[in-house]
Amino acid sequence: MGMRAPLKNVRGLGSAKEGTTHWWHQKVTAVAMIPLFVIGLAYVICLVGADYATVYNTLSRPFASLVLLLMIAATFYHLKLGLQVVIEDYIHTESTKFILLLLNSFVCAVVGLAAALAVLKLALGG
Amino acid sequence: MVELTLPKNSRVGTGKTHTKPDGAKNLKTFNVYRWSPDDDKNPAIDTYYVDLDTCGPMILDGLIKIKNEIDPTLTFRRSCREGICGSCAMNINGTNTLACTTGMDEFNGDINIYPLPHQPVVKDLVPDLTNFYAQYASIQPWLQAETPSPSKERLQSKEDREKLDGLYECILCACCSTSCPSYWWNSDRFLGPAILLQAYRWIIDSRDEHTGERLDNLEDPFRLYRCHTIMNCANTCPKGLNPAKAIAEIKKMMVERR
Amino acid sequence: MSEAYPIIEHKYDVVVVGAGGAGLRATMGMAAAGLKTAAVTKVFPTRSHTVAAQGGISASLGNMGEDNWQWHMFDTVKGSDWLGDQDAIEYMCREAPAAVLELEQFGMPFSRTEEGKIYQRAFGGMTTQFGDGPAAQRTCAAADRTGHAMLHTLYSQSLKHDTQFFIEYFALDLIMDKDGSCKGVLCLSLEDGSLHLFRAHMVVLATGGFGRAYFSCTSAHTCTGDGGGMVLRAGLPLQDMEFTQFHPTGIYGAGCLITEGVRGEGGFLVNGEGERFMERYAPHAKDLASRDVVSRSMTLEIREGRGVGPRKDHIYLHLDHLDPAMIDERLPGISESARIFAGVDVHKEPIPVLPTVHYNMGGIPTNYHAEVVDLKDGNPDAIVPGLMAVGEAACVSVHGANRLGSNSLIDLVVFGRAAALRAKDIIKPGQAHAPLPKDACDAALGRLDGFRHANGSLSTATIRDNMQRVMQEDCAVFRTSKSLAEGVEKINKVWEQMPEIKTTDRSLIWNSDLVETLELDNLIRQAVVSMTAAENRKESRGAHAHEDFPDRDDENWMKHTLTYHSDEGGVKIDYRPVHDYTLTDEIAYIKPKARVY
Repeated sequence: MGMRAPLKNVRGLGSAKEGTTHWWHQKVTAVAMIPLFVIGLAYVICLVGADYATVYNTLSRPFASLVLLLMIAATFYHLKLGLQVVIEDYIHTESTKFILLLLNSFVCAVVGLAAALAVLKLALGG
Repeated sequence: MVELTLPKNSRVGTGKTHTKPDGAKNLKTFNVYRWSPDDDKNPAIDTYYVDLDTCGPMILDGLIKIKNEIDPTLTFRRSCREGICGSCAMNINGTNTLACTTGMDEFNGDINIYPLPHQPVVKDLVPDLTNFYAQYASIQPWLQAETPSPSKERLQSKEDREKLDGLYECILCACCSTSCPSYWWNSDRFLGPAILLQAYRWIIDSRDEHTGERLDNLEDPFRLYRCHTIMNCANTCPKGLNPAKAIAEIKKMMVERR
Repeated sequence: MSEAYPIIEHKYDVVVVGAGGAGLRATMGMAAAGLKTAAVTKVFPTRSHTVAAQGGISASLGNMGEDNWQWHMFDTVKGSDWLGDQDAIEYMCREAPAAVLELEQFGMPFSRTEEGKIYQRAFGGMTTQFGDGPAAQRTCAAADRTGHAMLHTLYSQSLKHDTQFFIEYFALDLIMDKDGSCKGVLCLSLEDGSLHLFRAHMVVLATGGFGRAYFSCTSAHTCTGDGGGMVLRAGLPLQDMEFTQFHPTGIYGAGCLITEGVRGEGGFLVNGEGERFMERYAPHAKDLASRDVVSRSMTLEIREGRGVGPRKDHIYLHLDHLDPAMIDERLPGISESARIFAGVDVHKEPIPVLPTVHYNMGGIPTNYHAEVVDLKDGNPDAIVPGLMAVGEAACVSVHGANRLGSNSLIDLVVFGRAAALRAKDIIKPGQAHAPLPKDACDAALGRLDGFRHANGSLSTATIRDNMQRVMQEDCAVFRTSKSLAEGVEKINKVWEQMPEIKTTDRSLIWNSDLVETLELDNLIRQAVVSMTAAENRKESRGAHAHEDFPDRDDENWMKHTLTYHSDEGGVKIDYRPVHDYTLTDEIAYIKPKARVY
């Protein structure tokens, strides 16, 4: 490094010409999560202490399922984007970073899909 | 991985406490970071007592008085002493600022002075800003236009010229960039607030025709998008500029042009 | 010598020392002309003192009313009190509009008029109709940060042209051969203490003024006239060193500059009796008389007990009557300075000001091609081969006995460019360098080593303080035979303290104690010649106001002073005639007449 021209280091591999989609999606999902969480939380508060049948009946209605599915999609996508930034910020060993980024994508996808499956199961009856 | 503690050889120790000047009644204590590459010693904090009755009002006046009268080996950069050249940027009681425009009366207790954070130190309060300057060069900070220049000046409306206000005044002191945690962790790839503000100064200049290419050059998860709107840059800028706003404008343009 | 210093040798066509406005413009032009160019500078380029220029850069663009270069030339000649060389002044004023337009093409953020053209403001001494018309709006401005905008623009252009910079390299001495031509310059790298010999067919000194010879000045700490010091040590003369400009409006106490543009935009000076006293001294131009006139008037007011403040020792500059929106648009920088350094809100209160050392009209004598000249075998224009000087370091002389505000920035770019054009004509790129004798650098190294290990009884700061106080006291706005004779004696005493100097830092890495000592060595020589030249000139002209000889004496003193200095022989004085001709027949020589504003 010490023998290279500083400009060579700064230019590095050049601009990736991306990042805007990532940044924009993170903002969009953040905004989307505000109403979704308000409604979602309202459901949770209303259903505190309710029995299984009531919960099942309420959450299997199309509107509730839709809200929950959207909430799960937004949350886990946002989580994946956010964690990716944290990893990129703090992890500077290329191999560790690569593994953690992969893990982040997989975990978010798996946990998100599992959550979605649970809602679908309620909605479609099963 | 992230280093949460200082490496052994950079742990700061206690240095020399210089004697108080005789007969002085109005003393101010300066605790100053000292490090010289000449020996293998760790950095240390030296303590100096400055007689305010015979000293100018600014922190820089205090440092110069120390250098003139107590310890000529104290090393720091300084030039214009009126806040326009950007030489004497340093960390004073936890804030990056210019020593020449910061009054000693702004602080009640001791004055603690360190070099700008997270830059290699050449000696004492002199940081190595090579990477910062190279980043400045990398954004090509000159007017780029293909339209042949007219025989007189390129015309620019007052409104378009006004868009440069709050940008062209940057003095490249590096206070903002070295106050940005994102820059601390990723200064090898993140351009940092000062350079992004400079980039925006050319993007928004109505005479420049390379807006698209300039945006292309910045559109990168690291060069631009390491900015997490922490706002330290805007809080610390000794010239009262707002690099965070300039970065937000660049991000807005990135979305607009999709 | 206590140890051997290895020297790294570099070979270039041109080496420019200093990277302020003039140095950067010269460097850029040389590089663009295909010459292998190095720029050596002791501070990062945008930290150079050009950055602190505020009000603007003069050029007869005529954006704000009728104007032409002949009027600009007349004003400059009159401002110089007829000591300026009129061929050089013609060159500068004629080239000025193109030079400013070039800066605009480079992207400099000038303020604008409603038509989108470069905004121009009024400045001291700038008139129309050869002094008979109203004030000219000739000073092109970027708010009140013109120097900053210009320096950053020029630096970015040099990045564009891939200039090779050697940043934080301190120039020690010129390397001259026995025939008196310059062969290169020896420099010290602050970063690691290594020594570098830059061989070049042309060395361009763009090292700025030596304002720090005074106790209170608007100049940066780095304005130590390093080029002037090197030139004196090389046995070459400095010219017109008695002419030191006091800027009328330095902030009282701090000495920071408040631009003349404040008065150009309608501000005015007021004494302790609330009177706009400039109306008495300059009925026509009032507060926009030239700087020497205003500074003298202020000093007289204070001396006669009409100052302001508890000690009646300064003057008020009012701009609180001006439209706040206008102040915020055109004078934001000085509003900030006044707040920080005087605790004043310019919208409501006046700024306390005092005439403060600002500019050295004198310097290294050059012709209008920027080539350094010397008096040799009766030829007053004998060129020193291989050496050029530009900017405040040089004395072309376009400013003569007094510079007009905003003529310095134009001086930088016009003569920076002229140097490049000349170098292109006389240097063939890639020529071989003749070998130097083995001992070529010995004197310079001896000086460096001597100061590095100096172990006398007086610190650098002590001697510097002694020098600054003598200069401040005895080489001031007004001078008398008595004050100057005493001044010469006192400054020589300070000079005699130099062998007693003591440095503390023995390191070679970023040894600022050593650098300040080397700077002091440059300053003190110029202080000595400055004081001696002032004592020698028995007349009053421009900034040199001699109370025992209150009139200008064209018969005996319309000539440039040349001062030489040697360690053994002290100061030697000689003279060069003022050029009483112009460059072309488009304008005739402007004959001397009484100078009233």
